[in-house]
Amino acid sequence: MPQMGALIFATQAMAAPEELLNIALNAGAIAPEGAVLLAMLGTLIVDLAGEKAAAKWSPPICYAGLGTALALLAMQWNGPIESSFLGSFLADNLAIAFRAVVALSTLLSLLISWRYAEQSGSPIGEYASILLAATLGAMLLCGATDLVSVFVSLETLSVASYLLAGYMKRDARSSEAALKYLLVGSAAAAVFLYGASLLYGISGTTNLQIIGVALLTSPTPIAALALVFILATVAFKIAAVPFHQWTPDVYEGSPTPVVAFLSVGSKAAGFALAVRLLVGCFSAFDNQWKLLFTVLAVLSMSLGNVVALAQTSMKRMLAYSSIGQAGFVMIGLVCGTEDGFAAMVLYMAAYLFMNLGAFACIILFSIRTGSDRISDYAGLYQKDPLITLGLSLCLLSLGGIPPMLGFFGKIYLFFAGWADQQYLLVIVGLVTSVISIYYYISVIKMMVVKEPQEASEVVKAYPSIQWKTIGLPPLRVALITCVLATAIGGVLSNPLFQWANTAVAGTPLLQEAIALKGTGALG
Amino acid sequence: MTIASSTQQICFLVLSAGIVIGSLGVVLLENIVYSAFLLGGVFMAVAGLYLLLNASFVAAAQVLVYVGAVNVLILFAIMLVNKKEDLKPIKGLQLRRLLSGGVCAGLLALLIRVDITTTWKLPGPQAIGEQATERIGEHLFTDYLLPFELASVLLLMAMIGAIVLARRDILTNDIGTGESVKPGLIEKANTPLLIDKSSP
Repeated sequence: MPQMGALIFATQAMAAPEELLNIALNAGAIAPEGAVLLAMLGTLIVDLAGEKAAAKWSPPICYAGLGTALALLAMQWNGPIESSFLGSFLADNLAIAFRAVVALSTLLSLLISWRYAEQSGSPIGEYASILLAATLGAMLLCGATDLVSVFVSLETLSVASYLLAGYMKRDARSSEAALKYLLVGSAAAAVFLYGASLLYGISGTTNLQIIGVALLTSPTPIAALALVFILATVAFKIAAVPFHQWTPDVYEGSPTPVVAFLSVGSKAAGFALAVRLLVGCFSAFDNQWKLLFTVLAVLSMSLGNVVALAQTSMKRMLAYSSIGQAGFVMIGLVCGTEDGFAAMVLYMAAYLFMNLGAFACIILFSIRTGSDRISDYAGLYQKDPLITLGLSLCLLSLGGIPPMLGFFGKIYLFFAGWADQQYLLVIVGLVTSVISIYYYISVIKMMVVKEPQEASEVVKAYPSIQWKTIGLPPLRVALITCVLATAIGGVLSNPLFQWANTAVAGTPLLQEAIALKGTGALG
Repeated sequence: MTIASSTQQICFLVLSAGIVIGSLGVVLLENIVYSAFLLGGVFMAVAGLYLLLNASFVAAAQVLVYVGAVNVLILFAIMLVNKKEDLKPIKGLQLRRLLSGGVCAGLLALLIRVDITTTWKLPGPQAIGEQATERIGEHLFTDYLLPFELASVLLLMAMIGAIVLARRDILTNDIGTGESVKPGLIEKANTPLLIDKSSP
């Protein structure tokens, strides 16, 4: 590859300006991000015309931008893999898959946000533009192959997340969530910078590929120190135990649609970062980081699912359940086989639909009743069959009950783990799945089994169902889409399996890791 | 040892001592205004180290951004919030201080060990002095173009966020239904399960 040679040359020693002008930037790779950026600027401009205009025009602009981004991502799928921006960004299939998950999670979170934002009296235009900026950061993070790009996109995502967490500034809980997230997040960013500076010191470059080569021959103590620092940042972003302390408080205090985005979009970006940094860069320290990740995964699965049992607030329960779900996804990453990576991508996509479906239901419930206590859901079946059905299906899927989408995702993860002899992880996963089914089912029991006279006060005073108010129709669309995808996706999951396998097959980084593992097992 | 190199050595030692003592003061002093001014001193000393490394542009940027903007902002924030408040004494403060001191000392020992055992590539690349500005510009518009452009999005978004957080709310009515709204999370605060019986 002559371009690659030119690239390495350009990053190591700066060539004459004329030569640099001849290197292709290959900027088409970030066209989807361009669409998101245009939508962000568009919402800002219509916001100048006042709140009424913003409420009317922001939604279509966001849909157009994110829809275009998804279409452009589909066009890039299986395309030629060329590094763009002189080694800052790489649009391989893995990056495209994760960027699609991020963009779709933003689209669905926006659909369920409008009514919530209007009812709580918060400005909509700025909300949409900050969420789109977070999306932009997360999407670039999925494909960034340079420490500086990784850091700047990570910060774009994080700063936008802090702002969104504190968006209901009149509410003390929201401000508390934002402050906690800001302090812990800044500490994590500082730790990442320390690790990145050590990596730069070892290799003299910020390009992840060249750092990976340099790490093969570098002295152990300093590389191990850099590994620990980088791992802490990744674990913070995916909220793995013991880097999870911020999650429950932030999830409880943030506006619920923001939690929906944080639990899916931000987490997907975190996993993409984990693949880029750990699989791509630290292949020389495979055993070490896999051991550490095994510990993190076991802790996340057990603590997340066990503590979720004791929760009385729906948002807090979903926060702990999301910690447990991240533990399941980490099984696929630890395997490092073709099936393991494919199962990770597949489960991430399944998690997108089932988790956002559950969030759409609890947001609709709190819009109608102003409550998110689990005991207030008692007897809901009589008054609102749609929420009951949707929430039941999504929670069953999160628990991994067949024939939902989540069952196939989970079984594929466990299958990949068993095939790679990760018996400890799979057994812990199975046991904690059973625990998680218990608390998911107790919510369903609360809604379905109670007699009308046993219903909670909130449900007894349930308002009549109407869908006319501005913002409610999009919420219904998102709810029904997610629930349908969760329920039917399981039966028709073959395209999803193929999609996940193509994502792994079209990613040179993962193919190298798989080949390396294959030779290691033989030798 | 020539005069030039010994001067450099002395400058390095003075600046480093300033950084170490200054940072200790930032962390340990009780009065927050002293801490803020000491932080400014530490930033200046770091700028001095950059100058010793022959990186004048970075040193100038350090002074402009960190001393001129960040530190002044911190001082403004401190002076705007001059509220006297008696904080409750924390239980076992001495033990906590000892524990966190131990953790920090352990981390320092680890870093020193790594520093000593690693064979660094010495001497590093030759400093290019005045041409550095040109070289930084070249990098910003070639291999660091993407992060450079993304930083502008980051700053724009941070600015919008700051305005949203700081401005007075103008919305009192729900746009959809026209009803008056109470700003805040829709979910009501959950009452704790175990209500404290001792309080009236």
